[in-house]
Amino acid sequence: MKLIGVDVGGTFTDVMYGDTETQDVAIHKVPTTPDDPSRGVIQGMVEICERFDVSRSEVDHVLHGTTIATNAVLEYKGAKTGMVTTEGYRDILHIGRHQRPQHYSIMQDVPWQDRPLVQRRHRKVVAERLSPPDGAVLVPLDEEAVRGAARELKAAGVEAVAVCFLFAYINPAHEDRAAAIIRQEYPDCFVTTSSAVSPQFREFERFTTAAMNAFIGPKVRTYVRDLEAAIADNGFRADLHVMGSNGGVATSAMVSDRPVLTLLSGPAAGVLGGAMAGEKSDRKRLITYDVGGTSADIGLIVDGQFAEATARDTWIGGYPVMAPMIDIHTIGAGGGSIAHLDAGQAFRVGPQSAGAQPGPAAYGRGGTLPTVTDANVVLGRLQPGNFLGGEMNLDAPAAHKVMSEFAEQLGMTVEAAADGVLTIINANMANAIRSRTVQKGHDPREFSLVAFGGAGPLHVVEVARDLGIPEVIIPPYPGITSAAGLLTTDLKYDAIRTEFQTSGDVDGDRLSRDFNVMRDGLAAQFKIDGLDDAAIAYQRSGDLRYVGQGYELRVPVADGPVDQASLGDVFKTFEAIHTAEYGHVFEDSPIEIVNIRVTGIGQMPKIELPTLQQGGVLKDALLDEVPCHFRLDGELAAMATPLYARDKLPIDQVFEGPAIVLQKDTTTVIPPGAKATAQRGGNLLIETGA
Amino acid sequence: MNIQKNAPAVDHVTASVIQGALENIAIEMGYKLMRMSYSSIIRESEDFGAGLVDIQGRGLAESAQSTPLQSGPIPGYVRGILKTLADRGESINPGDVIMHNDAYAGASHVPDVGFIVPVFYKDELIAFSATTAHHLDIGSLTPGSCGIVDAIDAYAEGLQFKAIKVYEAGKKVIPVWHILRDNIRVSDLVVGDMEAQIAAARIGAERLVELIDRYGKSTFQAACDNVMDHAERLMRQAIAALPDGTYAATTFIDGYLDDPDPSRKELPLCVAITIKGDEMVVDLTGTAPQVPDKPINMPLHGTVDIAIWLTVRSVLLDTAVHGHIPVNDGLVRPIEIIAPVGCLANPIFPAPTIARFCPGNQLADTVMKALAGVAPSQVSAGIGNLRVIAFSGLQNSEHWVHMEIFEGSYGGRDGKDGMDAVDTLYANTRNNPIEDIESHLPLRVDRYELREDVCGAGQWRGGFGSVREFVYLDAGGASIEGEGHKFPPWGFRGGNDGGSAGLRLDRTNGKGGELPSKVPHTPVDAGDRFVCVGPAGGGYGDPLLRDPEMVLADVTDELITIARAADDYGVIINEDLSIDRAATEKRRA
Repeated sequence: MKLIGVDVGGTFTDVMYGDTETQDVAIHKVPTTPDDPSRGVIQGMVEICERFDVSRSEVDHVLHGTTIATNAVLEYKGAKTGMVTTEGYRDILHIGRHQRPQHYSIMQDVPWQDRPLVQRRHRKVVAERLSPPDGAVLVPLDEEAVRGAARELKAAGVEAVAVCFLFAYINPAHEDRAAAIIRQEYPDCFVTTSSAVSPQFREFERFTTAAMNAFIGPKVRTYVRDLEAAIADNGFRADLHVMGSNGGVATSAMVSDRPVLTLLSGPAAGVLGGAMAGEKSDRKRLITYDVGGTSADIGLIVDGQFAEATARDTWIGGYPVMAPMIDIHTIGAGGGSIAHLDAGQAFRVGPQSAGAQPGPAAYGRGGTLPTVTDANVVLGRLQPGNFLGGEMNLDAPAAHKVMSEFAEQLGMTVEAAADGVLTIINANMANAIRSRTVQKGHDPREFSLVAFGGAGPLHVVEVARDLGIPEVIIPPYPGITSAAGLLTTDLKYDAIRTEFQTSGDVDGDRLSRDFNVMRDGLAAQFKIDGLDDAAIAYQRSGDLRYVGQGYELRVPVADGPVDQASLGDVFKTFEAIHTAEYGHVFEDSPIEIVNIRVTGIGQMPKIELPTLQQGGVLKDALLDEVPCHFRLDGELAAMATPLYARDKLPIDQVFEGPAIVLQKDTTTVIPPGAKATAQRGGNLLIETGA
Repeated sequence: MNIQKNAPAVDHVTASVIQGALENIAIEMGYKLMRMSYSSIIRESEDFGAGLVDIQGRGLAESAQSTPLQSGPIPGYVRGILKTLADRGESINPGDVIMHNDAYAGASHVPDVGFIVPVFYKDELIAFSATTAHHLDIGSLTPGSCGIVDAIDAYAEGLQFKAIKVYEAGKKVIPVWHILRDNIRVSDLVVGDMEAQIAAARIGAERLVELIDRYGKSTFQAACDNVMDHAERLMRQAIAALPDGTYAATTFIDGYLDDPDPSRKELPLCVAITIKGDEMVVDLTGTAPQVPDKPINMPLHGTVDIAIWLTVRSVLLDTAVHGHIPVNDGLVRPIEIIAPVGCLANPIFPAPTIARFCPGNQLADTVMKALAGVAPSQVSAGIGNLRVIAFSGLQNSEHWVHMEIFEGSYGGRDGKDGMDAVDTLYANTRNNPIEDIESHLPLRVDRYELREDVCGAGQWRGGFGSVREFVYLDAGGASIEGEGHKFPPWGFRGGNDGGSAGLRLDRTNGKGGELPSKVPHTPVDAGDRFVCVGPAGGGYGDPLLRDPEMVLADVTDELITIARAADDYGVIINEDLSIDRAATEKRRA
């Protein structure tokens, strides 16, 4: 099979080609075309085929990471959206959880009020009402009212409609019927229901998820359709799959229907790319650490499985979204983060970023504020002649100038100030990693830290040391890890159902039945996608909590009928997870099964990265030796530091820090006391000495 | 920009790193408490706090998720237990866990029980890790811990814990736990929440020791001083930016509107803020005398101070304008509070205080009104206050209790309309999902919408309130504490006053009707319905200056009627939802 992965980032569109039989791979980068990202995608695909002599018509699959949905939300540029909801509850989307985003602010905005996904004038109410626990009909659906609402919304020029009824997660009949009526009245409209998008309780969050799906629906549908057409027009016969937030890909049809599943498309591919790199070094417990210009994304992989965010922790652009997502923690810390003294004269780095324009002073584009990148230049860790493989020059005097001015304010030497910038930004990043590990019962010392993105490998060893992490992995292509991750994905769909069943009184037959129905639903979808039964695997799990609690923990549920024995195992596992996560267990308290889930995974062909061949000696990789500042026994000192070319490093030969490894897409810093080895599998493995 | 004259004992970089680490610990405590806890009042409403306090009782950091009225008082709880233990001659030992809810020694009010874990570093007491949370029941005279509006003194409010060790040197003090279980309704939930509080506080203590281990005691303490001094500088600069002078305001609380005794209703809250250089004095002289036998008195430490600090910092160091501001003792150092002994804001024991929530938020609003005189572009017009209802019942001899906090709304702001249907000022809790309530309780939420056509008109109008209806599916009871039925939120700079709150009980037996803002425990039948009407915030600026397009938008959104657009704003809107510009100009002239 021949695969192309295309990941669209803010600045570059990264392309990777892989052949699963010959294990040939190739990489390429083209500028992102923000007005219509599909142009960059097509250009990248065409160019990689030309450069590496691949026949376009022989490419089987195109796997795509896209920010089209995310940007529509972040920039608040979606469709004119309508809503049909239960009478008496017109403003659920607007009132939300009645909590302000900030405690200590009068002038703050409330995203769901100031930037409504559906304006009140387009929120139509109809008589209907269901009730728990079984979805019984209290008030029948007023079909004529639905018809009237559909006509009004059509007349108002609404392009998409979300149908959101209370308790639809138990009984979708009213929503389904209302959607059918709206489609009859207005066939061109993008119609979505809350029970189809996210069938779980909590009405504000579910309605918002459905409204967001509608809000971004027309745009994503058009994008996918146009991209598919352009792919075909350019002589490709490959089908298109789009990366979902859940760490799997979905067909273009699925994504057109549920674009809300792709909100973390790019970062999720990054985590997969990190996981693939970790596997090459036989590591199963990984923290992925992706640092760019403005932010750092942190993901967690335990025993080969990435962590999934709980439904209550997933937010995009200030709106809650209840869709399955890889647990990715993002903080505002990157190469462009600005160092400053705040009004109270405390030393801060970020979260403000110089971005790409004007960027760090060292970019020579007029930046006048000291950034993390400038600090790296001052300390000699970024080399002016060798940044981005020499494609971009760095203005070292400009970096020195801004950092000197800052140092003067602090009464420090320029090197001490630059070192302080790195210490603070590294501590911020370490805190972010702590919040994903220590605070959730994982000991970071048992993990390897996989660093990528343009700035990850610059900082990673010091961050790892801060956390006591003994080992760091730098993948072969740190700058295009997301595109590489795309070539390792499977098709992945999730089904979820709210149960509210309590230990001691669980209807095992009902659970078995529900699991089977959900599984059959996924199987039908895979069938539509043309997948072989043999290529499909299912995983079952439940969201459990002690009765009374409000936050659930994900617990795996074994295959087979649900009976007393298997339930006993599930509850025991829940208690173990509760202890690990919170450090506490409530003895003998009843446990509630809130939701059950089935995840279906359809195997896709995957590439393997080629193993490296070259032997040679370290001397051949030596490019230069420069003075570089490091902290040794607490003292900051300039040390002679060799610069090595990544692609010339000898295999399996240990070399010691201080050293700096250069490659086209990143710079890796190996401080004194750390040891590095280029591995046959392609990774650079660093022992941090922690 | 100048660095402070005395060279700091810790460098800037380390101070910054330690501050981040302290906040990270507090966030972890809050995260764990919220997720472990049982009662919706903690995990959904987020009516809990978590924080770290130094040996002198000075706050070092608080968790970001918790509600300000819970985290803010934590240093006061610690100072309270230190004093109480010293008075009794008791010592603090490693492994102790201390329970406290003494509203006359730092606690916010009795249901907000604090659990304090002393932090020892190499056998030396060095700090405290503490959590607070609002408990569902504390053994008051009627079920639930809100709406206890007829408690006649502190003893009637429920159990009083004055620095009680629930663990002593690591050993559980079993009898205390028996007392808790035997005297508190829904004790499974309440005791579970207490255990969660202790677990979270212990995690904070553990992390703090790790942090100190890393940097050494003297560096750690120097960094704490540095971090507090930093916050103090921020507040002093913000105060110094205001012109010197005294700025005063008065607002009124309902009190007990149905009480024949005039000393129990329509009570003034008075605030005079004096700015002098970089310091501020907040003087509450003139505030009504305490009500000796009704629990709307406000503890000075734990409620009054928090209301004042919160409002001052929300206005002067607004995080939407200034970004993240570290929360610690330094922030409050430049603010002095004067509250005459025996007034509502400084009651004398055993005057009851359990229902101080709404008066305290009204005091916060009064502080904002006073600040409006000196920082008019940084305040909102008057806020709508809140209401809390304890729904309860008995099923098979077991109680169920559910507390729901009802939102208010904000007044208009300079350049922005007010926030609609949110918690206000010192409260920032969350409602409970309807789908959660109805799945677990014999209640139905029959309506939850914005309250149409009632709004504080202004160039920047006040936020809309809400309407929520609760229906009982089984017989049960309710007790209610609210405010703002009589006095609507104030308009500012020519804006109109907002809309006052209201409450009605529709009874199946036909004997229902309008209710005052405070209702002691009342039995209700299946089918009875509470119609809870939230207040609308005050308007900011002359309504005649409001952009006609914005008025039209409100009409199109069916928030206000065409008639109101004409009456309040002088904007004439045609039936086809277009603006009659000529008529508007004439009307507005």
